[in-house]
Parts: sequence; C-alpha cells; structure tokens
Amino acid sequence: MFVLLEQLRRARRTAALDRSGAIGSCALRHVDCGSCNACEHELTATLGPAYDLQRLGLDLVASPRHADVLLVTGPVTTRMVEPLRAAYAAMPEPRLVAALGDCPLGVGVVADRGALAGPLERILHVDIRIPGCPPTPAEITEALADALARRA
Amino acid sequence: MRREGSPARPRLEYVAATSWRGEVERALARGLRFRCAYAGGEGERSWSALFGDGHEELLLRTFASGDVPAVDSVVDLVEAADWDEREAHDLGAIEFEGRASTRPLLDHSQPSSAWAVPVAGAGVNQVAVGPVHAGIIESGHFRFHVVGERILHVDPQLFYKHRGLERAAEGMRPAAGIAIAQRACGACAVTNSVAFAQACESMLGSVVDEPTRRARTLLIELERLYNHLHDIAAICAGVGFAAGNMAFANLKERALTVNRLLSGHRFLFGSVALGGNEIVPGAPAVEEARARLSELGADIAAAWRALDFAATVQVRLTGAGVLSRERAEELGAVGPAARASGVERDARTYAPLLHYPAFRQARIDRPSGDCSARLRVRAAELATTLETLDDLLQGGVEAGSAVQRANADGAADVGAAVVEGPRGETVCVVEGDGARLRRFHLRTASYANWPALAAATAGELLPDFPLINKSFELCYACVDR
Repeated sequence: MFVLLEQLRRARRTAALDRSGAIGSCALRHVDCGSCNACEHELTATLGPAYDLQRLGLDLVASPRHADVLLVTGPVTTRMVEPLRAAYAAMPEPRLVAALGDCPLGVGVVADRGALAGPLERILHVDIRIPGCPPTPAEITEALADALARRA
Repeated sequence: MRREGSPARPRLEYVAATSWRGEVERALARGLRFRCAYAGGEGERSWSALFGDGHEELLLRTFASGDVPAVDSVVDLVEAADWDEREAHDLGAIEFEGRASTRPLLDHSQPSSAWAVPVAGAGVNQVAVGPVHAGIIESGHFRFHVVGERILHVDPQLFYKHRGLERAAEGMRPAAGIAIAQRACGACAVTNSVAFAQACESMLGSVVDEPTRRARTLLIELERLYNHLHDIAAICAGVGFAAGNMAFANLKERALTVNRLLSGHRFLFGSVALGGNEIVPGAPAVEEARARLSELGADIAAAWRALDFAATVQVRLTGAGVLSRERAEELGAVGPAARASGVERDARTYAPLLHYPAFRQARIDRPSGDCSARLRVRAAELATTLETLDDLLQGGVEAGSAVQRANADGAADVGAAVVEGPRGETVCVVEGDGARLRRFHLRTASYANWPALAAATAGELLPDFPLINKSFELCYACVDR
C-alpha cells in the first residue's frame, strides 16, 4: 500500500496540475453508442491522477438523472438509438449534449450505413464538440472546462 | 508443403452438406482446434469453418441446402462454435439443424423469453442490467437469473455496438480494409490490424521481411503492456481498492506516452500497413522509449509486489469466478483467461510471421482459474512483455516491406491468420484478390471468451459480477463489430 501511495504522490507532482480553475460544477453522464472503446479509455484517463478532472468541478455520475451533460461516443448504431434517447429523456433540464470523438461527429472511419443511425446531430442537438480519434485526455479536459467556463 | 518459417495457408476443402459433421469430427480427431466459422456474403449460402494448430490450417466449406438454407449443427462436437452458429443464423439466415435451440444472438427484435435461457423454480428472479451502465463502460446488456444474491445463470446480450464492419470492408481494396479492421476495437487495434494484414498477405502470397516482423511484434507487445496494466487497474477497481486502481492507471498512462513517442498515437493507430510497418521512429526516440520502459518496468514490479501482498485485495479475488480447466477447453477459451485455468496455450510460441526468437510462456504457480489467477497471469506476462520490448528496441526499428513468395503456391483467394493479442488468440479470415475483398471475418479473443465469462459467473454472488467481469476484461467493440 505504501509503495502504491508513494507512486501516486510522485505522479501528482509530475503532473503539476493547475488547481486554480474551479469555477463551478458539472455532472457528466457517458453513453457509448458504438465506439471502438478508445474514447472510453481516454475518458477514464481524465479521471486518473495525471489529469484529475474532478479538480475542475467536473465528475462522471452513475445516472442520467444526476447529469448536466450527456457525453456520447461512437457513430450511433441503430441498436443504441433507443437507449440513447431514454438516457437523454431521463436527464433534468437544463441539459447539454457533448459529442466525444470523431465518430459521433460523423467524421470517423466508415461502417455499414445500414447499421448506423448517426451521426449524433441527426438524433440530438449537439452543444459541445470534442473531435479526435480518440481525443486525448488533455483535449477532453480542456473542452469540458471551456464549456463549464462559458456557462458559469 | 509448408516451408519452415512461413505460416500455414488455409487449405480449402469443399464438403457435401451430408458429410459436414463427419468432416468436422475428422478434423478435431486429428488434433486441429476450432478457430472460427462464418457464413459467406449475401446470396452465397456458404458456411465455412476454420480448424488449425498453427502448422496446418484447414478451412472446411459446405453449402446450405433447401428452401430455407440449412446446415447440420456441430455444437455438440464443438461447444465453442455456439456463438458462431447463432451469429450466422441471425445475420445470414442459415438454419442449424440438430440444435436444441438457436436462441437469437444479434437479433434484438425478440422478447427476452426468446433469447434468454429459460430458468424456472421457486424464488428465481431476473435482474436486467444495461445496455447503459453506471460507469464508463461499453454498451451491452446482461440478464441475470438469480435466487436471492446468487446467480444461477447469466445471458449476455451484446451487439448493441454492431456497426456492420465486416460488410463495410467487403468490396474494398485489401490495403484500405485495414482501417476497418483497426477500428473494430481501440484496445486491440494492433492485434486486429496485424491479423488482418497477415491474412491478406497469406491470401496474396507475400511474406513480410524481418524489420516488419520485428516492428509488428514491438507494436503487439506495446499493446499488451498498456492493456495488462489497464486490466490490473480494473480488477483493483472491481474490489474497490482505489490506491491500486489509480497507481496502475498511472502506470498505464506512462505506457501510453511511450506508444505516442514511438508511433505518434497513444493507441498505436495507423501503425500497421499491408506489407510493411508505418512506424519508423528515429534512434533518439527508440533510446528514450527504452529508458522510459526500463523505469516503468521497475515501478511496475514494485507496484505488483505491493498489490500481491495487499491481503484484503487478495482474499476477495481468491475463489471468485472459477473457470475450470475442463470448461475452458470445452468453451474454447483463449489468452490469459485460459492460461489462468491451466490451459497452456499461447499463439506466440509458434509465430513464424512475428519475432519471438526465445519466447517462453509466463507461468503461474497455481492456475486456479479464479480472479486471483487471472490477475497473477497478467502480472507474470508483464515481465515477459517488458523483456521482449527491451530486446526489440535494442535492435532499433526500421522500415520493412513484403516480398512476393517466389513459388507455386502464389496467390490464392483465401487467407487466414492467428495473432496472440492482450486477450488471447484473434483469428482473421479474408477472401478475395489483390483488387477487392469479397469477405472479411474477424473472430477476436473477446468473442471466444464471452461464453467462458458467463460460465465462470454461474453460482457466484451478483455483487461479484463486476469483479469477475473485470478479471476477464473483454471488449464489446470487437465482438459486436
């Protein structure tokens, strides 16, 4: 345990994150609509010691009922349209939709059109665009912090 | 005959529908293992199954007959073919005769009574989870049949992420299709693209040179490194051990920065090409990567010792989610999950198209098939992977190319490859020619292991499912395709 905590202390010193930016809070809910899983890896990394999304007042929550922002990954498969709509409907207002990665923005690698209902814009109005394949944790953090700052 | 140092190209044998079962039985009796089965393109009515042992690969093919296309089922001979048959039933509309039932696998239009195993009795309840989960998890649905807290049976209903990637690749040039194979899964991008490239090269009758083999091996091991670190972090999260979760997440982050240094991409996207490799990092980058990996290796070893002696963690893992060796064999489990159950199989032990000159499979003391064994296997494999990486980087990374094989077995219209990725053997079959892919089939290690995960879950407590799930840490993306 001591070794693990010591490694974490070292990681936090190395990351040297800016802690002055907290200006509010925002709860995020993620829905995977057919991503390759790389966006999920990077989103998970934003919550790790190297990026520490929570320091900005941003955090992932377990239910769309607690969320301000719906973070959508993937090109939106026909099979995920209904679960996506259900998650959006469960959110309290005001609510925002973020497209995470190139796929929901409709500029990802092609797939069989018959299996896709996306891009996301066809289904929900997109407020925040985070391009990249996948966007890096630093880019995700910056885009979300910007969105929070604009609304604060 | 196959020459030394070149892989076996699949030998295609057409089989009459009436002797399908007999030929499958013969292949198995000769010691060949079931690798994958797939239906042909639209209107083709063909049904093919690949068997092999690395030295010999046999592709059996028959044609579904009758007004409603039908083939004899072989699930009683090869339990591992269960999902393959159900997939072909749902996508290719082939009926499989002799099965007790062909429950829908990809077809989501039917009620749960059609796709879930019927379970009856006093106090049996169903618990539905997903497709949207509470954490940052891929989409998929689980239907648990429980009595109290205890799981009798679980039916995973996946394919929410089905993007029709196999169909999308059909008609493409082989060199362009690699982008599709790679995007099947971010976490297995290298494994899937190397499997695709090797399958195409086998079809086209070309062999890659030494620098390409070394570069591909380097990429596969880099992929294994960050995935194993990620999986160990996930297992820590599965028992609520935050210090271990975060420490290993940070080690994974460091591995990803090495990936970026060497390939320009954290997940090594775009680094594999047909007939070559796309990465040629300069000598300074290679030296720096080697130094960083050496430092990382020391920290991984220290972190693993700390985790191995964290008694509160270990006690939660021991005995949880046991997959017996017998069931692992029957279900065709692969990779670390199979090795944790004592199945000593690793495609790296015979990989003439990659560079594993002195590969020795990492072994653990007690392959007990539980969450603890699946964790220990990964920790042991990390050491082997770091050694392999150091060896490869020491020799530098050069541009490579492919040479046309100058003998009679030139181009064929089918090719196959098996690559040992982080989660185990991934099989790729392609059909077509140099100009166009007619069929592309990808059966990843996760596809092979989902039924094994379901088997390991039976009899366990519902709150242990996240832990058991994470101990396998299977992808949804490359299963759903």
